[in-house]
Amino acid sequence: MFVDARTLPQKFVIDADVCIVGAGAAGITLARDLSGNNRRIALLESGNFDFDADTQKLYAGEVVGQAYTPLERDRLRYLGGTTNHWEGSCREFDAADLADWPFGVDELAPFYRQAHDICQLSSHSFAPQDWSTDEARPLQLGEGAGVKSGVFQYSAPTRFGTVYRSDLASAPGVTVYLNANLVQIDTNDAASSVIGLEVACLNGNRGRVRARHYVLAAGGIENVRLLLNSDRVQQSGLGNQYDLVGRYFMDHPFVPLASTIVAHAASPEMGFYDQHVARGHIIEGYISASDEVRRKERLPPFAIGIRPAGGLVDAGVGNMKLPPTLRNLMSENFANGLTYYLPRWLDRLESPVRWMNQRMWRNPPGTYTTVYTCGPDPDPESRVTLIGTVDALGMRETRLNWRLPASFERDMQRAHELLGQELGRSGIGRLRIESSATTGYDPIKDLGEGHHHMGTTRMHDDPRRGVVNADCQVHGIANLSIAGSSVFPTYACDDPTMTIVALALRLSSHLKSAPG
Amino acid sequence: MRKTRRFVLAYLACAPGLPLMLRSGLGFAAGEGQELDAATLRSLVADPRRARSIGRSYRAQYPAEEHPGVLTGLIRSSLGLGESAAAPPNRDALISVLDARVRAEFGAGNIVRVDGWVLARTEARLCALCD
Repeated sequence: MFVDARTLPQKFVIDADVCIVGAGAAGITLARDLSGNNRRIALLESGNFDFDADTQKLYAGEVVGQAYTPLERDRLRYLGGTTNHWEGSCREFDAADLADWPFGVDELAPFYRQAHDICQLSSHSFAPQDWSTDEARPLQLGEGAGVKSGVFQYSAPTRFGTVYRSDLASAPGVTVYLNANLVQIDTNDAASSVIGLEVACLNGNRGRVRARHYVLAAGGIENVRLLLNSDRVQQSGLGNQYDLVGRYFMDHPFVPLASTIVAHAASPEMGFYDQHVARGHIIEGYISASDEVRRKERLPPFAIGIRPAGGLVDAGVGNMKLPPTLRNLMSENFANGLTYYLPRWLDRLESPVRWMNQRMWRNPPGTYTTVYTCGPDPDPESRVTLIGTVDALGMRETRLNWRLPASFERDMQRAHELLGQELGRSGIGRLRIESSATTGYDPIKDLGEGHHHMGTTRMHDDPRRGVVNADCQVHGIANLSIAGSSVFPTYACDDPTMTIVALALRLSSHLKSAPG
Repeated sequence: MRKTRRFVLAYLACAPGLPLMLRSGLGFAAGEGQELDAATLRSLVADPRRARSIGRSYRAQYPAEEHPGVLTGLIRSSLGLGESAAAPPNRDALISVLDARVRAEFGAGNIVRVDGWVLARTEARLCALCD
């Protein structure tokens, strides 16, 4: 059932068993999974069914440090959350990705299986050979190669607010409150238990939610903001007794033109490592370090994609001649993203559009560029904090200081060196690493982010090292949990959505089995 | 914008082919049983102009290998040819030996980075010989 909180009486009170804050991938998954058994689920969504500029402005904040998309444009604040502009990339974290998590792949495996279906993936396999076709094959890498192939599968992409809207409307016990903004988490005097949530609407309506259990699922920046703004009892903010809330912020840095590959004429095509259709589904191969090299060299998890070098696309990143009026409407990063993704989106279309696109944007065979992304080591100084300015509801806004490690460029170059080494060993071709020092082109200047907000309420069994425990419960607050990528203690190198969904299902199973 | 243009130019410059594609066919300087010399090695490089540019950078990076005699000696030695050993009997055989050596160096991580290119040590030396 959907209820517009603006239409409720002033000082309304909502009673529920579980209250979930945020109707994005995590919140919607939780609500659907918890539905039934006479449970009353209140799902609070700040926005409505569609984009609204005033609601979106509640995301405004400040960016310092590494350049970043303005915060009010980076996420979407309406039903479905940021899945409303999700590109759809999915992959399961592997054992190496979860090495520093409090649990391993076996724990997540059953939830990943469900997450596949929720993210509308066609297959459960991420093995490169299962996606090999006559048109696009993974490279035959040698024994002991320093790199290996992997696969991202692409979801439709699933717009959670659209795809699961009717489910939410009819799910037993689930009520979605639209236009309902959490503005304060009230606790008992010891800050050991949440006793209620204060909720406000932009039309001035206010009310409370009382529940047995509360889950913050508002995203990696907003979860922090909600905890730090809730400072009436614990003055440093809820869950922040060890000054960890907001620290370890990470996104996936994305470098679109990291190297050039020139292949021998007789070499196999490398279309496997670009977005393409295999067996009727969209996938994209990538190159990463072998487990041994990653461990030995302490490289961050990385993914290198290989694209046909297209003069117009690649030279145009950040500079493509979009009409000025259109460009002015968009953030620089979004404009860059558009110039990068537009031809690729077009490529998904059937001929003749696809035929035209290939001729417009593609380049001579045998030359490629690489795109690089990684999940750097957690850095406590990369963080989200509060600033003095407040939004329309009186909530202090956030400041984002995203920091990349000093080793970022060196690691990126090493990753490409490993790929170059393998291309040379197998006789496929040679690779040139772009850098201002050697080739005159600085790939870092085009560095963007994946718009993935992770790590700010990280998971660790020791409250001195994590905001939530292995069950995603906030340390010291028995009835407050967090869902979403803010609990990731490390970040892997890929889109977090499917893991967010898997973790939400895992949290749901804990909540279902909790006594009372 | 200027940097991006530079990238495009650099990219176009490298696009037509590999800098170190080895050339089979005419011009094999060493006769059967003769010693493998610098001229023979140079004659294997398909695009001497691009090789020269990389070679210049390599020599700047490794000034101890500045002299052609040193480079030739190092290449000979990496190919397993001693001081007095004869060159492979023909160009194709030499290319085959070189190719195997280069691949082995890539496999063993015996690589150098020159002007951004990730190269096997021996092929970088071959470039340096062209400068």
